[in-house]
Formats: sequence, C-alpha cells, structure tokens
Amino acid sequence: MVNPLYLIILSLLAGFSLPLIDKASRKLSFVTFLGVLGANLVVVGSWFYKFAYSGMDKLVVDTAGFLAPLSINFQVGYEELIVLLGVNLIAFFTAIYLGEDLEDKSISSMILYLMIMVGVNGLILTRDLFNSFVFMEITSISTIALITLGRRENSLVSGFKYMLASGIASIFFLLGVVFVYFFSGSLNLDFITYNFTDYRLIAIYMIAIALLIEMKSFPANGWALDVYESTNPGIAAVISVINSAGIAFMFYKIMPLMPNSFLYAFGIIGVITFIASNLMGLKQENVQRLLGYSSIGQMGLLLASIIFTQGIASELRFLIIGGFFFNHLLAKTGLFWLSGIVNKKEIRNWNALRNNKILLVIFGLLIFALSGLPPFTGFWAKWEFIKVLVNSQNYLVITLILLGSLFEIIYLFRWFTYTVKTETDNRIAVRGLLNNKLLVVKIITILSFVTGLVVMRSFYNFELTSNLPILGLLFMLSMTFFPVKLRGFISLIATGAYGYYLYKIVGLENPIQLLFGVIFIVGSGINIISTLNRKEESIGFYGLLLMMIFSFGNLLVASSYLEFFFSWELMTIASFLLILRGKSAQKASLMYMIFSMAGAYLLMLGFNFAPELISSSALITQMSIINLPLVAIILLSLGFMIKSGVLGVHIWLPEAHAEAEADVSSFISAILLKAGIYGFFLVAISVVSNAPQIDVYYWIGWLGVFTALVGAFLASFQEDAKRLLAYSSMSQVGYIIAAISMLSHLGWVSAFYLSLNHMMFKSALFIAVAGVYYRTHTRNMYEMGGLIKKMPLSFISVLISIIAVSGVPPLSGYGSKWLMYSSFLERGWYLQAAVLFFASAVSFLYLYRLIHTIFLGQAKYEHKDVKEAPMWFIIPQYIFIGAIMVLSTFPNLLIRPLSAMAGQYFDSNIVINGYNVSGSFGNWNGNLIMLITMGVFIVPLFFLMLFVGRVTKVKQFNIVYAAERPESPQTTHVAHNMYAHYRKALGGWGKPRILDFWNASAEWAHTMGDLFRRIYSGNGQTYLLHIILFFVVVFFFLGV
Amino acid sequence: MIETLIIGFVLLVIGLFAMLTQKNIIKIILGFSIADTGVHIIIISLGYLKGRTAPIIDSAVSIANSVREVIDPIPSALVLTAIVIGLATTALMLVFAAEIYKKKGSFSIDDYKELKW
Repeated sequence: MVNPLYLIILSLLAGFSLPLIDKASRKLSFVTFLGVLGANLVVVGSWFYKFAYSGMDKLVVDTAGFLAPLSINFQVGYEELIVLLGVNLIAFFTAIYLGEDLEDKSISSMILYLMIMVGVNGLILTRDLFNSFVFMEITSISTIALITLGRRENSLVSGFKYMLASGIASIFFLLGVVFVYFFSGSLNLDFITYNFTDYRLIAIYMIAIALLIEMKSFPANGWALDVYESTNPGIAAVISVINSAGIAFMFYKIMPLMPNSFLYAFGIIGVITFIASNLMGLKQENVQRLLGYSSIGQMGLLLASIIFTQGIASELRFLIIGGFFFNHLLAKTGLFWLSGIVNKKEIRNWNALRNNKILLVIFGLLIFALSGLPPFTGFWAKWEFIKVLVNSQNYLVITLILLGSLFEIIYLFRWFTYTVKTETDNRIAVRGLLNNKLLVVKIITILSFVTGLVVMRSFYNFELTSNLPILGLLFMLSMTFFPVKLRGFISLIATGAYGYYLYKIVGLENPIQLLFGVIFIVGSGINIISTLNRKEESIGFYGLLLMMIFSFGNLLVASSYLEFFFSWELMTIASFLLILRGKSAQKASLMYMIFSMAGAYLLMLGFNFAPELISSSALITQMSIINLPLVAIILLSLGFMIKSGVLGVHIWLPEAHAEAEADVSSFISAILLKAGIYGFFLVAISVVSNAPQIDVYYWIGWLGVFTALVGAFLASFQEDAKRLLAYSSMSQVGYIIAAISMLSHLGWVSAFYLSLNHMMFKSALFIAVAGVYYRTHTRNMYEMGGLIKKMPLSFISVLISIIAVSGVPPLSGYGSKWLMYSSFLERGWYLQAAVLFFASAVSFLYLYRLIHTIFLGQAKYEHKDVKEAPMWFIIPQYIFIGAIMVLSTFPNLLIRPLSAMAGQYFDSNIVINGYNVSGSFGNWNGNLIMLITMGVFIVPLFFLMLFVGRVTKVKQFNIVYAAERPESPQTTHVAHNMYAHYRKALGGWGKPRILDFWNASAEWAHTMGDLFRRIYSGNGQTYLLHIILFFVVVFFFLGV
Repeated sequence: MIETLIIGFVLLVIGLFAMLTQKNIIKIILGFSIADTGVHIIIISLGYLKGRTAPIIDSAVSIANSVREVIDPIPSALVLTAIVIGLATTALMLVFAAEIYKKKGSFSIDDYKELKW
C-alpha cells in the first residue's frame, strides 16, 4: 500500500528540484513534471486496485511519529479515492493539454501547477481542520499566480479579484477553525465529538460560509466568472474542476458537524446557485464566461446533491454525487479544452467547427453529456436524484432544479445548433491528429461516454436490447465507407431484423405492443425506402435513423420506468439530430429539443411519482396493476402530449416538420408522434385498470378536441405544403387524444384504428410532397400547380390519401370517423362530437387546397420539364396506399384484433358479423360501402368517357393580364393565400397566439437573466460587498 | 483575554471596512492586512489563559504541572502559520497591484471593470 503522503511529497520534491533540472533542459523538466503527475495517478490507481480486489475500505496514515489527534492524519476511503482519481486524472491530462503553453513560459508555471495539486490532494486527504486551511491557501495562492499564465488580456485583474475573494474567505475559514478549536478542544475531524449549539454554531457557520464562497455560490461568485472568462482555458478547467472538487470535498467532510437547519439552507443555496447561474447564462455570448456560468451552476447542483441525499443507501448516494461529479469533471474539462482549440471568444464564431467533423462530434457529445442525456453519467444521477427528492417531498428543490436544467439546455443547444448550422469559411487550425490538445479532448470524450456505460452496466441490469440504439448508431457509422444506397439497404435489413428480434426473440405480451410495433418498425421500414433516393454522402444519417427506430421499438418492450425513459431520451437525441440535418433547421431543431426536454423532465418526475414496479414484464402489462396517483397521471400525460404536439405545446411541430429534410419529415409525423400516443396509452391503461380519473380525462378530451380544430384551421392557412401536413398531423393527433380520453371500448378502438391509419396516409402524403419538392425545389404550394400531368402517380397517391384522411367513404378514414362519432355519442360527449365534426369539415379545406394547388390548375412555366417523382418515393407511397385499400375493403381484418385489444380493458360493445360491424348506433359494412362507392364512381366515369367530347384545354398564356404582367404572378393566383376570406371571418382567432405566448416567455426569461447578471458589475469591490452581504444575510436567515 | 479579543475584532472590522470603501488598490491591500492582523490577534487571545506562563517546559515549569501552568500552545503555533500565509498572500497581492499598475497607470479599482456580466 502506497503511503498517501507520496501524493504531497512527490509534487513538493519536484517543485523544488524543477529549477535545477531546468538548467539542464526545458524538455527534461517538462518530462519530470508530467512524470510526477503521472506518478500521482499511478499511486491513486494502486489504491483503487487494492480497494477493488483486497476488500480494503480505508487507509489512515499518521504523520510526524505521533497518533492523531496529536499529529495530522491523512485518510483514504472510498469517497476520497473517487475524488482523488478524478482530480489527478484531469490534472494529468490538462498538463498534456497545456503542453507548450507551460513549456514555453518560465519554469514557475509548472511549479505552480504542481503546488495546486499539492494543495488539492492535501485538502482531500487531511482530517485536520487547520491543515485544510493551509492546503486551501496553497491551492488558491498557486492558482491565482497561474491565472496569469500567458498573460492573457485582463487575467491580472481577474486574478486580483480572485485574491480579494479568497482572502476574505480564508479569514472566515481561519476564524471558524480557531473557534471550533476553542469550543471543542480539537482540530481533528475524527475527534471533534463536541455538539455545537446556539452561539457556538458561529464557528461552524464561518467555516461553511468560507467554503460556500470558494464553491462560488450565488451571488458571491462574480470574481469566479471573471476568472473563467479571462484565463487560459486549460487553467479554467483546473479551477472549474480540480479546485472546486477539493473545496466541495472539504465541505462534505465537515458536514457531520453541521446541524440540519444549516444543511437545508445550504442545499437551497446550491439550488438557487444552479438556477440563477443558468438563467444568467441565457444571455451569454462569450464562450468561456458561458462555461463559467455553467460550471458555477454545476457546483450548485453538486452541493445540493451532497446535502439532499443524506441518509439514503450509500451505493445510491455514490451514484448520484459521483454521477454529477464525473459528468461535470469530464464534460466541463472537455469543453474548456475545446474552447482553447477553437480559440474563438464569441459563441457565434464557433461555426468554424463545422468544417472539422471530428471536433464537431466531440463538441456534440460533450454538450449532450453536460445536458444530462443518456448514456452519460449525469443522466443516471439526475434520474436517481429526482427520485430521492420526490421521496423526501422536496418539491421546491425539484422545480428549481428542473427549471434550471431547462435553461441550461436552452443555451447549450442554442450554441450547438448555431455551430452546426451557420455557414462559414473559417476553419480550425489543427496540426495533425496527434496534436496534444486534440488527443486529450478525444480521450476525455471517450472517457465520458465509457463512464456513462460503466454506470449503466454496474448499477442497472438492463437487457442488451436497451443498448441496441447506440449499437445501431455505431454499427452504421462503421459502415460509412460504403456507398449511401448500400447503407440504406443495410438499414432496411437491420430494421427488419430488429423487428423480427422484437417479435420472435424478445416476445410481445400484449397485442397493443404488436400494433405499435407495426407502426414503429414496419412503418419505419417502409419509410426507409424513400431515403434510398439519397445521392449525397449523408454521413451519420442512417446511423441516427437506426438509433431512432430501435429506440421506438425499445419503448414497447421496456420493463422499467428507467428503461423506458432511457429509450425515450435516446429517441429524442436521434430525432433531434435528424431534424438538425435540415438545411435551415437551426431554430426548428432547437425548439424541438427544448420542448422535448421539458416533456422529458415532466416524464422523469411523473415516473418517479409512480409506485414501484414489481415484475420484469413489459411496462404495458405492468401498468394495468400499477395505480398511478393523480399527480403522476397529469405529469406523464403532459409529458407525452408535448411529444405528440397537443395544442399549447405544439409550436415545435410545424417548424420541425417543415425544416427537416424531406424524407425525415414523414418519420417525425407518421411515427415519432405515435411514440407520444403510445406513452399516453400506457398512462390511460393504468387509469382504466384502477380507479378511473374521469375528471382529468374529461379535460384532456377537450384539449384533444381543440387541438383537432385549431390544427385544422392552421393547416388551411399554410402556403408551405409541409407545414400544412404538419398542422394536419397535429389535428389528427387531437382526434386520437380525444378518442383515448373517452376511456371507452369504442373510443379506444377508434384511437387504435386512427393511429395506424394516420401512420399510413401521413407517410404517403409526406413522401409524395417530398417527391414534389425533389422535382420542383419549392415547398410553397402556390409556386406549384398543374403537376397532375407531370406526376400522375404522386397525384393518385395524394388523392387516395386525402380521401382516407377526410373520412369520406369508402376509405379507411370513413371507418375511423364512424367509429369515433359512435363512441362520442355513446359516451355522451355530444358537444365534443359537434366540435370534432366541425373540425372535420375544416380539414376538407386544407385537403382540397393541398391537392388543388399542387396538382390541378395550370402548370407553371418553370416546371415544364418536371418528371414523375423517383421510384424510391413512389414505392413506399404505393405500399401504404395498397394497405389502406385492403384495410378499407376488409375492415374486419383490423377491427377484430383492435376490438380484442380494447377488450382487455373494457367490455366490448361492438359486434362483428361477417363484413358488418355493428355498434349501438348503427352498422358499418366496409366491404359493401367500398362496392357501392366504386360503383358510383365508375358508372359516371364510363358515361363521361363515352359521351363527352373533347375538352378544350386552357393553356398558360390564355390568361391575359390587362396591359401589364405582375411582378410575381403566382401571388395573384387563387392558390396563394387561398382561404383569406375564412381567415378574415375568424377575426383575430386565426393568428398564432400561442407562439406569441412562448415568445414572450422566452423574452421574459432572457430579460430576467440579463437583469440578474448586472449585479456582476466588474468592480472587485462590488464582488467583495456581495461576499460580505452573503455572509450577513445567510447569517440572519439561519438565525444562528 | 477579552480586551485583546475585542481589539482583534475591531481591527478585523476596520480592515474589512477599508477593503469595501477604499478605491485605491494599495489601500485595499492594506485593509486586508489589517483584517488579517485582527484575525491573528483573535487567535492568540483565544489561546491565552490568564495568569499562566509561556508553554516552554524548563526549570520554571515542571512536566508534572505543565497542564495547569502554561497557556494553550496550539493557537500560538497556528498563528505562526497563519502569519506566514498572510504574508504570502499580501506579497502576491502587491505584485499583482504593481503589474496592474503597469498596464493602465492607475491604482483605482474602478478603472478595471472590463470583465463583467
């Protein structure tokens, strides 16, 4: 067993001998320097090995030949070990990262760097209070001196501010230590048995507040922001991670001395720091300062997690605190380093990264890690932390943490999407792949990813299935050297194989899983055909696609809340990145991400309010025995409805659909929205199997109804074909939600029926529009027209699809409408039925507009050479159309199993007899209707063909304008602003008010953030005042 | 000793007050130094016990009686370290002040507010 003293001695020894070695050569001294840091790491590693394999759990060493408390003693337990490991790891890699920055400057930089490590390692190891004061001072003095490394602009001034702050903090700390000694008679943490009460608490208070100041608690943290902004990014990483870890661990060590009232208040301070710094981060433009805000926020979160996880099982606590710690450690260091490589101060200049794909991927992964997305450690920690907080009923803390996380998501992803999507000619100058800076950034990103997986493997026994999305992504990325078409076929086969795997090997327990399996997997498979038309490289496209499809499937078979949520988040990541591929999708994808994450937080909360699961069967089976409390029902329903784009939270939906690449939109609309529906079913199943919460579902039903109505209206007013379809999807989802909310047999049958139908016809429509876009290069419908002759196959498919949507006989839409109205009447929801009926009428407007403006009327001159859409677009459309025709003719093929599915939860009240479906309000014979309608259609067709003579065609220039030709002739056409009169008739109701609401909220948050951050005036004395006020206010607040 | 304890606290407050109100960087550093000295005096005062002698065991103090006759040596030992650290901090502050002065030729802390928000 290596003596912990070596951690101190080696660095000290090297520190003293470096000037001497430097006389020989600078290279040699740098090697010695690195060698010492490496040796530290080896020492810690050897303990790690010992702890893991020889059952040892604590190592205590006394110094100077005396036993504690007469001497200072060092201790290494599990907690110390983990922190030491992280700290020394980062120290070693940061030294490599700094490389020539350290080498070129005077030797003192290396010495100072070693002294920081002496200080931090000592701070972690020592059990003596006064000794920790000494180590704290060593750390801050050497850090401050190192801040000026490279003499960057303003680094001297920020160093001075740091010194003022740490000077005050050390005064408090020292006083606190002395008073602790005065009252208790000991300085050793293991021997202070004294119970601090009433006025004596001041001693503990002073120590704690000094540590809080050093941990950069809000608002006593202005100095730290200035330091982060001005210093070398490598040093900023050291301060953000290594120093903070030492201080945070010190706080952890003195926690047993504090009374609970203190701890609770300090926890709240941590949470406030987290939310305040993330709020203020919203307005940040400077990269290093932004990372500074984020660091401070993370420290607040760490502090809160240390305090609020007291008293829970140590393994779990280890996961939470360790998860947050390592997430911050790896991701933040990586981002700081990256900012040094990119070397651009302003966020908006980071787009130089987009010309360097590897760095861009690293950037993305680090952003994901920092946002607490899977599989990184922050994800697991956040889930468990929220669970602990729910159990201890700390609702205020939960709200603040989730809100703060959302702010963090906003600025991180704005930064990311902006970097990916703005064109630039700038490049990052990187010399070779083995460049030291690049190398360590890669290593840390991989480490971050791997630690996440290790946590997943060691804390949760997830099935292999859960990893399939990530494996799928990696698998397709390894195929990048194949031509794009081949990769498309491979994805198709992989999707098929995955479907088979789910169906045959994993096994489905419930027919509802099969239905959604068909929607998710078979639907995706057919949609993949349309992507085979891709000509461009599309690197990463198929990987993300597989990741998304596999996550869809995993939602079905997940057997625990966490597994479900894990797949849900992977699905969010994959779909976000797919949307981001669209040409001008920056805003759209950002909006999608923000809403998705907000939804995800609601889900996380909702699942943690739900009772524990007991068996390992699929979630859908278990939900029927789980009795969800009302709050969980509301939270989960809201979370799922955000993903489905219900009224109020739908604003991401049209943007994402419109701006995603043409062949991606159909996946989002037809399949992704159904993931929300599936989740919504899960909740509803629990409700109907236990005590039905009719009230909640009554209101949700109304929400669905209005979603259907508003969606239909908004769709009618769109010029953009994809936006029209997007709003149409929203409207259809409204029908489905309303139908589910009835909680009746017929309602559910129609919801199932509509879900499947919608997947088919909306896929066909989106792919048809993708084909039109591919040929005409426009999404504005008024710029099209007359394409019926050029693209007859697309026309027929759109025609059939819109008949299916609109619910006129004979196609499947009619069946779903029949079922739905029957169920509304049966349930007694007459008013809802009336509104929905009206919405259906409105949907004729947009459907008519879609087919009329694209395919009918005059062909535009610029489209004279347009051909039929490529085969790859036609094939999937006709597969869907064929399926729609078959299911319309023989509806029983579908109604019978759907009725059985709903029959699991309700008494059936429809009778299926041959081709006839009869409910309480009449019969529906799909087969007969098909025959009659076909007859009605075909007889006049023959008549017209036989007896009507030749038609005179109106040509383009038959239309004559009086004397002049308008600037843009399309806008004079009826197709432009087609339903202006209806819009007028609606008065103000046609305006997108909800968008205004969200815009106002965003504006408000940013203004608040801007307002708050003005307290950081830049004046060192103001910062001092904050610190003193912080001390005084918290003091009175605690009433010591 | 209660008097010295009070003196210590008064010095501490004076020092903090100077740090908060003086605009001149050198004076702020002086303020810190005064506050630090106040802390040192507080530490020694806490260790001092009235009527006892220095904690040195020689002919005047026998080992057997030492516990009853000498003051608590720990605070005195601590204060030595604290003084050294205070010295280092003050020295570093002064170096920074000198370097900052070279840049703009001003000692006023109000002139260095480029970093903010």
